Amino acid sequence: MSATSAPVSPDAVEDAPEPPFPPAPIEDMLRALGKGVRAHQLYMHNNPTYLKALENLRASFAPVWALTETFTLQITENEFKWEGVVVSHEAGKTSDSLPWTFYKDGIRELRFQRGFEADDLIPFLDVVQRARRHSPDEDDLLVMLWEQDLAHLRYRYVDVGDDAPSAVMADLTAAHLAEPRLVDPPGADDAPLPEETLLASRPGMVNLEDFDSTLYFLDEDEAQYLRDAVANEYAIDLRGNVIAMLLDIFELQTDPAIRSEICEILDGLMLHLLSAAQFRAVAYLLVEVQAAVARATALDPAQRDQLIQIPDRISEPTALSQLLQSLEEAPTLPEQDDLNALFDQLRPSALGTMFAWLARAEEPRIRTLLQTAAGRLASANTAELVRLIGHTDRVVAVEAIRRAGALRSGAAVTPLVRRMTDPDPGTRLAVAHALAEIGSAGALQALERLVDDADRDVRVAAARALAARAYRPALARVEAVVKGKGIREADLTEKMAIFETYGALCGEAGIGLLDGILNGRTFLGKREDEELRACAAMALGRIGSERATESLRRAVSAKDIVVRNAVNKALRGAPA
Amino acid sequence: MSTAVPPRAPRDPDAANPHRNESGSDAYVRRVGRAFIIAFYGAVRAIKLYPIENAAVQKALDDLTAASRTILDSEKELEFRASGEYIFINATRLRLDIDNYTSFSHLLSLFRASGIGSLRVLDGVTPRNWIVLLSMLQAPGDESPEDRYFQLAGKLEAAKVTTFDFGPPTDSDGDRAQRQQVKAAAKQTYSQSVAATKDVINSVRLGRAPNVRKLKRVVQGIVDTILNDESSLMGLTTIRDYDEYTFTHSVNVCIFSVALGRRLGLGKLQLYDLGLAALFHDIGKARVPVDVINKSDALSEEEWRQITNHPWLGVLSLFRMRASQDLPYRSMIVAFEHHMKCDLSGYPKVIRPRALSMYSKIVAVADGFDAATTRRAYQHDPMSPAAVLQEMRDNPRRGMDQVVVKAFINLLGLYPVGTVVVLDTFELAIVHAPNPNPAVMSRPIIRVVSDPQGNILYPGTLFDLTEQSATGVFARTIIKTADPDRYGIKVGDYFV
Repeated sequence: MSATSAPVSPDAVEDAPEPPFPPAPIEDMLRALGKGVRAHQLYMHNNPTYLKALENLRASFAPVWALTETFTLQITENEFKWEGVVVSHEAGKTSDSLPWTFYKDGIRELRFQRGFEADDLIPFLDVVQRARRHSPDEDDLLVMLWEQDLAHLRYRYVDVGDDAPSAVMADLTAAHLAEPRLVDPPGADDAPLPEETLLASRPGMVNLEDFDSTLYFLDEDEAQYLRDAVANEYAIDLRGNVIAMLLDIFELQTDPAIRSEICEILDGLMLHLLSAAQFRAVAYLLVEVQAAVARATALDPAQRDQLIQIPDRISEPTALSQLLQSLEEAPTLPEQDDLNALFDQLRPSALGTMFAWLARAEEPRIRTLLQTAAGRLASANTAELVRLIGHTDRVVAVEAIRRAGALRSGAAVTPLVRRMTDPDPGTRLAVAHALAEIGSAGALQALERLVDDADRDVRVAAARALAARAYRPALARVEAVVKGKGIREADLTEKMAIFETYGALCGEAGIGLLDGILNGRTFLGKREDEELRACAAMALGRIGSERATESLRRAVSAKDIVVRNAVNKALRGAPA
Repeated sequence: MSTAVPPRAPRDPDAANPHRNESGSDAYVRRVGRAFIIAFYGAVRAIKLYPIENAAVQKALDDLTAASRTILDSEKELEFRASGEYIFINATRLRLDIDNYTSFSHLLSLFRASGIGSLRVLDGVTPRNWIVLLSMLQAPGDESPEDRYFQLAGKLEAAKVTTFDFGPPTDSDGDRAQRQQVKAAAKQTYSQSVAATKDVINSVRLGRAPNVRKLKRVVQGIVDTILNDESSLMGLTTIRDYDEYTFTHSVNVCIFSVALGRRLGLGKLQLYDLGLAALFHDIGKARVPVDVINKSDALSEEEWRQITNHPWLGVLSLFRMRASQDLPYRSMIVAFEHHMKCDLSGYPKVIRPRALSMYSKIVAVADGFDAATTRRAYQHDPMSPAAVLQEMRDNPRRGMDQVVVKAFINLLGLYPVGTVVVLDTFELAIVHAPNPNPAVMSRPIIRVVSDPQGNILYPGTLFDLTEQSATGVFARTIIKTADPDRYGIKVGDYFV
């Protein structure tokens, strides 16, 4: 935006009285104001460029206040004038032009007072920015300035109302067509002093009105009642009030067209409230909609569906994802109670989205919120949970698997079994844990197969789970692993897991095999690998019978320290 | 010796004076001026109640002296002047209102009784000077104001008090011009309000989404006018146009509500919220067939049902308001509740628990008053304003909040603006404004509109019914209220 001063016309100089001081400080201030407006529009308000522009703008007022306490700018379509002198000129009638921004909305004068840059500058910049962007239906500069009620800025405006005067005031037609009048709204500093209002009295002085017996005076109780009522007016929950109103109308009016209209309103209202982060109101709306569905009479199926869909919408993946995204990005989170109230209203269909977000939510409060809400929904809707085990999104599936295991849901076994062939080892591992937690016969039977899984972690988890459950039907499979070549190439952890499991399941029947590993020699006369021998010792210790102990004693003097330690440890744990 | 001080021209608030410090600004003068008047009144009261040597009196005099010095130090002069309904301090009109004006009316009565129009306080005033002046002002006497004026000057000279100068009452051209300007501004505000309301209601009736911004400007204008000069706009509520009733009614209810809200201590933005809600309160009627609204005969059951639907129809209409800002929730609540009555025995009925909002109660009173005092197709003989107020106060079935009604009566006076009254002089008059002094609510400011011979006068003459003769007899007294139609008087014509 260019903001240069047009040269003062000779006529203007000749006709107008001499300005009290040169216009340079005003011109400089307006240039800085233009830059400040631009910076306010372009930059985040913690951006150093913006802060610098603001600082410069504030500083530009100082030379003006050194010369005057107040100054007034007259506004034309393209110019700001001060004392008849043009101090800023911008060609064109665009939203970039500051004079035009004010002029088009009827502002003709701005009077700045000392203190403006300290108290009113930021709100002023906000208003100007909004005015530049507003559509014809939105509030204009005049409405916004009035609402801001700036203490150090006065303005005069033209009534540019395009309405013809009403018939009741026909004598105003001529006045209406004449030069628009300037209106000078009362300023904030003109507010009555507290002692001037009806409900206040000057402390410490007898009030003559106390001696009046006029019937129409308010007594102190009545005055207090009014004060309390006014205070309460701005403490009540307006949104909840309106929601209750709408649903009362819905329940009491049976006209289908009205009910349909209300459904549309409620749908739009819910989205409006969500975008405004009014979560408690949304939660209330969802609760009361359900109450209305249950209570309304003569409700036809189409209307019922229309109403029921309202709570469903927020649980839809797109809507819920957007909500969670906005929560993640919000500089401050809403109150936890409000969030809990909203998330308590989510449908089972929200589970999948919540599971997906649990993996990526960074804000701890969001994670906690999702954990709690997901846990509640999952436990109340196992069918949906079970369905999500087969979800194509692995993250969702794994979370569903984990929760199914935590809930020990027997209905989850079948889909878990299907998931055992998942190419992702992480998924299979989750399945293993879940089957272990469920612990039913079917679950353990399926879990047994994972002893032969391609992934080491899965094998270990399966083995340990079978050992913990003492699932003897798995003995043959485990024994096959013990006897097989694969175990000799496994790492120590896996070896230990398998041998412990074997030890837990085999009983006396397995001592021979274990003793052979611990104390025997191969065909070539060599001993087994020390890790294997140590694991065999652990397994014998797990069996703990006399024969097992005897086998361990034969290996007490083993040369290999790993074996010797394992044997001693096993003996210590074995019964005497 | 007192000197007749010619009144100064009203201050131009926009006159540039770069060398004037902050204390020279209008706002500053208004603030210190009001503080001075409060101190003045406090001293008057203290002297009336207590002996002079009482500590309360001494403190009050000290306060008054300090307040005087504050103005003298910063403004170099201090002139108090009363002109008509306005008070000027150093030619700056104080934006007093009925609230604080009632507190200061005793002060003005003293001045009026003493024939003083202006008081100039000179440098060096002391508490002793003030006690002498105030004691003299409050001394009883039967003289005429003019005689009292000259006696006062002599007495002050005898007491060697030289720090005051007096002037007789004047009504300068500037004052008259300013009053006319205020009146014209109020008329334009009213006219634009009715036009904008008509546009919005017709838009709703046609199924179009109305433009809220226009109405916001309207309400802001009404709030500004009420804050600036309440009586100018209140007088226009008497217009009560038959054909444009729907629109003028909404504007009238807005004006009454904002004026009442101001009485209750609401701030500017709160008044705006209230005013907007009041303006929208009957928007639901745009969805009721016009022939049902205007039907003169008794309504059928179905037609009554349609009428009683307008509160909740208004809620639905307000949801269609175009706005990118938040929805007008408060307006919705008022539209819904304004016929419910305090005990919820009205309409519409509700299921969920509800407590009426204060704004709904205010609008209910304003709505009931305006509706009952307006002639309609179904109401050929509207009630007089005084009767309506009495009904609201005394009939619990009306369901009005009694404290709000009481405050409303306090706002309008015992004889509300626009009431036609018969005087003991056989003249007819229209109540022009309530008397600022609440102790004499039965003696409002009236405009005599017919002479004892029954000749209608236009525009008539204003009188204050508290005016008394030298012997203390009231010049005029209201005998009773009257039906304007019976006398062929169109009340609204006297306020336009």
